[in-house]
Amino acid sequence: MIFHDLKELGILGINNRVGRYILRHNKRENYPLVDNKVLTAERAEAWGIATPENYLVVENYGSLKNLHLKLLNYESFVIKPAKGSQGNGIIVIKEIIKEERNGEIRVLCRRSNDKLMDVEEVKHHISGILSGLYSLSGQSDTAIIQAKIDKHPIFDDYSYGGIPDIRVIVYEGFPVMSMVRLPTKSSDGKANLHQGAIGAGLNLSNGSTNNAVIRNQVIDVHPDTGHKLSGLRLPFWREILELSARCYDMVELGYLGADIVLTPDHGPILLELNARPGLGIQIANLSGLVPRLEKIRLEAPKNLLAKERVDYSMSSF
Amino acid sequence: MKKLIVLITSLLIIFPLGILFYKSQILKLSLVPQMVDDVWNFHMTVRPKGDVNSFAFPIPMGGPGQKVTDEKIRSREFEVFVDSNSDSILATWSSKELMKGRISYSARIDLKAVSYKNIPKDYSVTYPKGLEKYLKLPKLLDEDEDAIKLLETAILEGSEDKTSLIRKIYYYVEEEIQRNTEIKTIHETLNTGKGSPLIKAKLFNIMARRKGIPSRIVVMVRMPELKKIKEGAKLRFTFANEVFLSNKWIPIDTNRGYFGERPDNFMLIHRNYEEIEKLISKKKVSYSIQAERARINRYNKAEFKKEVIKTDSIFSKISLYRLPLPLQTMFTTILLIPLGTLVLSFARNIIGIPTFGIFTPILLTLFFKETSFGFGMLFFSVVIIIGIGERYILDKFYLLAVPRLSIILTLIIMLMLGYSFYSVEMASISQKHLAFFPIVIVTTLIERLSIELAEEGVLNTLKTLFGTLVIVLLVYALFFAPVLEMFMFTNPELLLLIIGLQILIGKYKGYRVSEFIRFRDLVRQKKKMESLPHDLP
Repeated sequence: MIFHDLKELGILGINNRVGRYILRHNKRENYPLVDNKVLTAERAEAWGIATPENYLVVENYGSLKNLHLKLLNYESFVIKPAKGSQGNGIIVIKEIIKEERNGEIRVLCRRSNDKLMDVEEVKHHISGILSGLYSLSGQSDTAIIQAKIDKHPIFDDYSYGGIPDIRVIVYEGFPVMSMVRLPTKSSDGKANLHQGAIGAGLNLSNGSTNNAVIRNQVIDVHPDTGHKLSGLRLPFWREILELSARCYDMVELGYLGADIVLTPDHGPILLELNARPGLGIQIANLSGLVPRLEKIRLEAPKNLLAKERVDYSMSSF
Repeated sequence: MKKLIVLITSLLIIFPLGILFYKSQILKLSLVPQMVDDVWNFHMTVRPKGDVNSFAFPIPMGGPGQKVTDEKIRSREFEVFVDSNSDSILATWSSKELMKGRISYSARIDLKAVSYKNIPKDYSVTYPKGLEKYLKLPKLLDEDEDAIKLLETAILEGSEDKTSLIRKIYYYVEEEIQRNTEIKTIHETLNTGKGSPLIKAKLFNIMARRKGIPSRIVVMVRMPELKKIKEGAKLRFTFANEVFLSNKWIPIDTNRGYFGERPDNFMLIHRNYEEIEKLISKKKVSYSIQAERARINRYNKAEFKKEVIKTDSIFSKISLYRLPLPLQTMFTTILLIPLGTLVLSFARNIIGIPTFGIFTPILLTLFFKETSFGFGMLFFSVVIIIGIGERYILDKFYLLAVPRLSIILTLIIMLMLGYSFYSVEMASISQKHLAFFPIVIVTTLIERLSIELAEEGVLNTLKTLFGTLVIVLLVYALFFAPVLEMFMFTNPELLLLIIGLQILIGKYKGYRVSEFIRFRDLVRQKKKMESLPHDLP
């Protein structure tokens, strides 16, 4: 069998993920809680889980009219679709420039890649979001204007452009595997493995990197900064795992991917949740998910608090 | 729960197979209707050479595997006398004055393959009087007689019955005598081991008759292949043999290697070459023969309907053949859709080929099938190009998504309008009451394309496009097997089987073939790490 090696390494395949873990453990009615970032943020607030601050939620075309006046209140912000996936439709504005010409105010936005955008372009992008261009199913959507998160200094040598994020797979409330996604030049500053970001597997016991891949190829140094990737060890590691474990209690999805960012001031905060997390994390860690999932399913004690579950995971994996 | 699924699935698989078994084994129904035989339009024109006021020429006659109808022998200027007293028909045209024009003959000829398997041993000694002429030996040179006698001792030794003698002679002439159109006499053939098709038939004839087996050379016309019909190929006479074994004339062809069979592309025009040798000689006449198919192979649905009704079983009441014809045509196509989804499920969930949307590939394939492959591909490419192009052009206008898609749709319709001026294809689409079909497909395609382009970028979209195309081609190939179409239509209970198989695919939790590729590097790295020595301090 050509699949012998995959099976031996305990690699989780798509059919198995869907059939055995997602369909069994994730109730369809809970999906909107993770698929819609507005709902996730509301629920997170109620549970005391830190998320980026939502400045504005744009639900209809009418509220686009005076948008530029509202935007002037902020120094920087991020625009994202509430139901987007894989980082599509996200624009990061790092600076707002106000120009006055003949008594009229013109607002320009500087993007994270230093390109300038007229506020009309920003509005068009938002209307694209509203019409569902970036939503998972192509249905109409809501746009979120959110506080821009700054990069934690620990990532200075490990990231090009954007903000790295930490993905934790949480099964039945137990963190089972984790990686940090480091933006590169070729990923256009996005923390998206498909677009060429680095995926670095993390040891659950201490948050240090164990391996790194870019487009499925193992690498030792960051291609843009030249920094060795093996020396990275994340601060607040326990808090990161506890945050992800609590997400299980919050949305009641048995198989879950939590995306967490490290802020310079507030420590780890929850960026978004994913009910169908990708399988690339196994390549970043050079190990399969199945043995870990099965260990939790068969051996882990039930009815533990998030803290206790994190203890179990940190000592088991 | 698991038991229930196993039960349902096995029922869904066993039940339709059981019905198939019942229909074919107990009711003795065939699983698809029989094919209608090949019917040919046959034309022949003959012009006599030299100054004559009468001449004769063979015309086709019915017989095993051959039916002649609608014969037309034009005879405004000539008298025609048709002699059908023997095994063959000879027509004689005559006129009071010298013959100048050409005569023309046409007929519809229905050909079936003829095949005799397991010809029993034959020890006959005497034959009816009519067959005597097929035993007469021609005069040969003494040395040729000696050569044949030598051959006989070498190859026919030990055979008693006439069937095995014939088989041995056949093998000898078929395999040992090389085809060479230059060699035209028995004498040369015996010396060189080569011979023209006619000489091979003659040699076989002589050797059979020497053993007291009635044998004759038949004159045939080989019907043209489809490609050659288009070129209007002129056909020639060709030769084979027939031998009289266990009271039947058995066809034998030492040139093309048929023993006891004649394929359905050979038409017999005369059954005794010796009688017409002089009549068809090029010194006496010039002739031209053409044939084209009157009808392409089709399934004989009407006949099958009768067959089903005759069984008087439940199937005589619920057979799809009882539906009005337009509905039948519709369902023949529609019944292919579940079959296509089976391919799709397999390709997506077990192989892991990415496709646009879920059923877009199936819709596309139907579109390809209803129009033509070339047109379908053209249409598909144009839609894709417009879809990608609009992202670069309309992006600058800041249009909302819905009007934007509507513009593309309108553009496609304009394109269809333009194209219809140049192509007859459009006319045929509209006749198939499927005029709206392309539009429906384009709408779904463009919507998916637009989302895909936004979410995955151009490169990944092209990958998905390629996957879609692969599925389309696979399903298209499947849809083009007419047997399959008829099989589904005749046995719609197979739909249950398809559901059963879909459950099986749906329960598949193993890896996809694509994952083998995706995780290939992981496996390689892991193996490399394991093979390294552990240099721990």
